[in-house]
Amino acid sequence: MKTVYFEDIEEGDELPPIDLLLTKDFVRKYAKTAGMDFPRFTDDEGARKEGLPGMIAPGVLSMGLLARLISEWNQAAQITRIGTTFRSPVVPDCTIHLLGFVTQKDAERHIAECDIWMENDDGERWAIGTATVLLPTKDA
Amino acid sequence: MALEFDRSILGQVFDETDFPPVDKEDILKFADALGETNPLYTDEAAAANGPHGGLVAPPTYVTRLRPKKMTPEHMPRFGKVGFDGGRDVEIFAPVRPGDALKMVSTIHDIYEKTGRSGSMYFIVLRNEITNQDGEQVAVVDHRIMQR
Repeated sequence: MKTVYFEDIEEGDELPPIDLLLTKDFVRKYAKTAGMDFPRFTDDEGARKEGLPGMIAPGVLSMGLLARLISEWNQAAQITRIGTTFRSPVVPDCTIHLLGFVTQKDAERHIAECDIWMENDDGERWAIGTATVLLPTKDA
Repeated sequence: MALEFDRSILGQVFDETDFPPVDKEDILKFADALGETNPLYTDEAAAANGPHGGLVAPPTYVTRLRPKKMTPEHMPRFGKVGFDGGRDVEIFAPVRPGDALKMVSTIHDIYEKTGRSGSMYFIVLRNEITNQDGEQVAVVDHRIMQR
């Protein structure tokens, strides 16, 4: 298991970024799995009837992908809090970039605070957030 | 100027949902739909040697629990259109296969923010999730934005 220990991180450390082609099929599969198979998340025509330009991704998918950013960085990390703000609709069939860095270390509790966000190729941040992550230590 | 509404609606329970036991396959499918490769969420045998001693759900699995009523019957309206503004999830215990989860939903907060495009109103629905042992699993705050 890919483990990053609390002792090995520094404030300012970047999390290894994830670049992902967000296809309509990927969004549809998530929506169906999460019990959100509503037209706006599965079908362009249905989404247009709701006044949207086309199908969009659920906000909680962006959040789930941002949690994956943490999980791929450190498989042994435990997210104890994650907060995200959905800033604009996520329209699929584009490449998205999941990015983040460590903003703060709490040596007493072995916790790292991270800024995390999802942006498009133009650097527009579609979802932003923060996560509190409990890390394993070498002493334990 | 403070936003005017009947403050007695804050904290009132508008939904209580008992979910059927969490299905292991559902956890695996959810992890797969996010493209997760972390063995704690994808590989039962490897997860058995992990920090939780078994397979657990990815942290945002709790956002996939859909209560009987997503919003209160008398959902306050301040704007013409509503958007999903975001989620804040606090996690206290992992979700494991077989867990019988219960969710209690309340209107937690209502506030107004003024931005470049005028006033925006936020209604925060709080979903508190516990398991069959009465253990607190997670609190999911769902911010609905209206304008």
